[in-house]
Amino acid sequence: MSRRPPRGEYIETDTGNKVARKATLVGTQNIILGGKTVIQPEVMIRGDLIRSVQAQSSSGGAPASNTAVAIGRYCFLSRGCCLRPPGRLYKGAFTYMPLRIGDHVFVGPGSVVQAAFIGNHVHIGSKVAVGESAIIKDYVRILDGSVVPPNMVIPSFSVVAGQPARVIGEVPEGGHEAFELRDLYKTVGNNPQPAPS
Amino acid sequence: MAPLSPYTYIQCPCSDPGNLSSATRSSNPSSPADEDCFDPRAPRSNYSLYPLEYLLFCDDCHQIRCPRCVAEEIVAYYCPSCLFEVPSSNLKSEGNRCTRSCFQCPVCIGPLSVSSLETQPESNLLSAPDNAPAPHTGPYILSCSYCNWSSTEIGITFDKPNNIHAQLAKQRNGGTTRLTAKERKDRRKDMAQSGLRSQSPTPASPAATSGTGQTQEPLDLETQFTNLKTFYQRQLAESNSSHGSSMDLSSLGDLGFASPNSLSRIMSIYTGGGLHDKKAKARAGVMREALSPDEGLQLSDLDESPAIAHLHTHGHAGTITTEQRLAQPPNLGEPHLHGATRFESTLRPIPYLLRTKRSKRCPICRHIISKPEAKVQTTRFRIRLVAGSYIPSITIKPLNNPAALPETLEPLKPVQYVLTFKNPIFDPVKITLASPSKTPGRFGSKVTVLCPQFEIDANTDVWDEALKDGGDASGTSRKRQQQQQQQRRGDDGGQQAEAGKIWERGRNWVSIVVEVVPASLRLDRLATTTTGKGQDERETKEVRDDDDEEEEEEEEEEEQEDRKGKKAIVDTSPLKEDEDVLEIPMFVRIEWEADSVGDDMLGGGSSAPARDKDVKEKRELAYWCVLGLGRVRQD
Repeated sequence: MSRRPPRGEYIETDTGNKVARKATLVGTQNIILGGKTVIQPEVMIRGDLIRSVQAQSSSGGAPASNTAVAIGRYCFLSRGCCLRPPGRLYKGAFTYMPLRIGDHVFVGPGSVVQAAFIGNHVHIGSKVAVGESAIIKDYVRILDGSVVPPNMVIPSFSVVAGQPARVIGEVPEGGHEAFELRDLYKTVGNNPQPAPS
Repeated sequence: MAPLSPYTYIQCPCSDPGNLSSATRSSNPSSPADEDCFDPRAPRSNYSLYPLEYLLFCDDCHQIRCPRCVAEEIVAYYCPSCLFEVPSSNLKSEGNRCTRSCFQCPVCIGPLSVSSLETQPESNLLSAPDNAPAPHTGPYILSCSYCNWSSTEIGITFDKPNNIHAQLAKQRNGGTTRLTAKERKDRRKDMAQSGLRSQSPTPASPAATSGTGQTQEPLDLETQFTNLKTFYQRQLAESNSSHGSSMDLSSLGDLGFASPNSLSRIMSIYTGGGLHDKKAKARAGVMREALSPDEGLQLSDLDESPAIAHLHTHGHAGTITTEQRLAQPPNLGEPHLHGATRFESTLRPIPYLLRTKRSKRCPICRHIISKPEAKVQTTRFRIRLVAGSYIPSITIKPLNNPAALPETLEPLKPVQYVLTFKNPIFDPVKITLASPSKTPGRFGSKVTVLCPQFEIDANTDVWDEALKDGGDASGTSRKRQQQQQQQRRGDDGGQQAEAGKIWERGRNWVSIVVEVVPASLRLDRLATTTTGKGQDERETKEVRDDDDEEEEEEEEEEEQEDRKGKKAIVDTSPLKEDEDVLEIPMFVRIEWEADSVGDDMLGGGSSAPARDKDVKEKRELAYWCVLGLGRVRQD
């Protein structure tokens, strides 16, 4: 599929992921894409930063999850953003923890995300730094240039901005649909379609 | 100045003066005339304009509702950090802050995390992972990973990693113990009992009864209050018993601060009326004031030399900002007067303020129009009637280069914008637009809506669209290509947009063109533009021939404006804030035929009688909206 004569800018997988050839994915075996996710050029995902200390519970059973970054469906990683699993001390030793991202998550250009968990329908603006082990729940909008401090928990329907980031408002009831990224997904790729007006 | 992307704000009818007083409305029943024309710059408009997403819609009143007019009810309280729900009973006893271990940094308001002081050096040795898990013992601290503040800076450590809130309540800055509210209460009880015992012999000499070293330590607020309360109660009782002797003083004493009357009145205000004694009104007499700490006397500490000394040693870097001071929680039982916390050493970790989930009711019919699930973690809504699913959304794009927005609008150079109306409801709607030909304000830009009346097809199922997509999409895309070709050929934009014609239409959307001539922001031109305006308007009127209503309206406007022009008192004060933003007020009227629901539709926007149930019912909705196009360049 990807070996077509005119090599497109994106590699489109069977599950509908569109991964730019110019994106840097380190440790691809530890990165899970849920499908229909767009990874633009110059995006970096650090899949090599896996857990070095296995949790006690999972070490006994099947090979513990080596996932470093798990991304859901219809996510959009803009140009130049970086996803990095958070690191922390676990029982006296330093280890990385997986970074889990839900569906319909937009990461703006130039943002660095080191969160532990990002829910569904989250919009992260451009040049945002999400600190280590932050937890971002569903329907959260992080405005451009925010610095989310490490370990911060952002509850659902929050609008967050500032350095350090604080909750500055609520997502209104009518604003839920704006988080949908299905239309945006169609506008990129090797044969992009214009956005519906 | 940052470029402005086009926006649409919609006015909620709650702020419409016509809704407030029916008299003014009836005097002018026709379509909005010029003086009725909505001015987006009026100070009042600040409170009524909302983006579509913020608006709700009452299904029963058929009216738009805004966050300002809906009635809110709290469904659940929860901590925004640990996301635990707090029952409302706890709220009364514990206050509106999280009582777990959720704290904000007093310096930067970042979240504080609990960490152990002891294991810190051990981890630096990078012990092997198979080592025995380091025992988390020893003192724990709250630390901020954003600004590296930690509770050691104020001399506070914790013995246990959990229930930090209770541990913190027992500690003063510096680590000295502090009485909790409960302990203070117990102590007060003891004192009250001892006070009662000593009351009978000599009530006026409490110095003898104290003697527990209370005088050194300043009283906390609650103790002071209870001491004062008991003291004054005693005084009241005394004056009651010995009344009659001081009746002649009542005329003076009634007004005085120390009079029993005013005291009992004040106390009834603060204690909930339990102390208010009707009989006491008749009594009068001057009482003495509290003289000792046991009676509630608290000498205020006016000696500021320690603060000055602290400032000498730590400098201004050791002081706190106003924001930091305001973020400080009121410490129960501690005096939190203005300026009490002025130094970083006096800061306390801030327990997270609780957040709420709220349901919203229509202010008029009391129906619930938005109700979230009560569970904190779920994001579903049981009821969510948003305006976006009832009224068409309006998007604005420049006609000629839809991709790149111009930085600023060129004054006196016509620009064309495509307004796209998207119909969210499942019935075809008819839309009538009206806008003043000249925007209100000092710098009136000329506005021409090329197609003020059109119909939008129903919002059919997505499946229908998908099935139809083959034939339909090719048609629109061809049109688009044509447009693009035309643009590439460098055609004039004015040729393409025909008056009275829809620019483009789709399944449930219609695009029309609006032509705008931005006003010049030059103050010296203000006078000339107001006089030479009449003729231009006549031209625009000819273009707009479809709508009779529209014409009448415009004539009225013209008359008004001509009159204004004659008066010509030109305000040439310098440009005010955001006066360069080009905002077009536009009156939108939507008419559609909906299935009649029942008899309960008599009110609201339904114009047809709701008798026949199967007959389609005619509905209409009208509101003002404001189209913000951008900033006009200043020359």
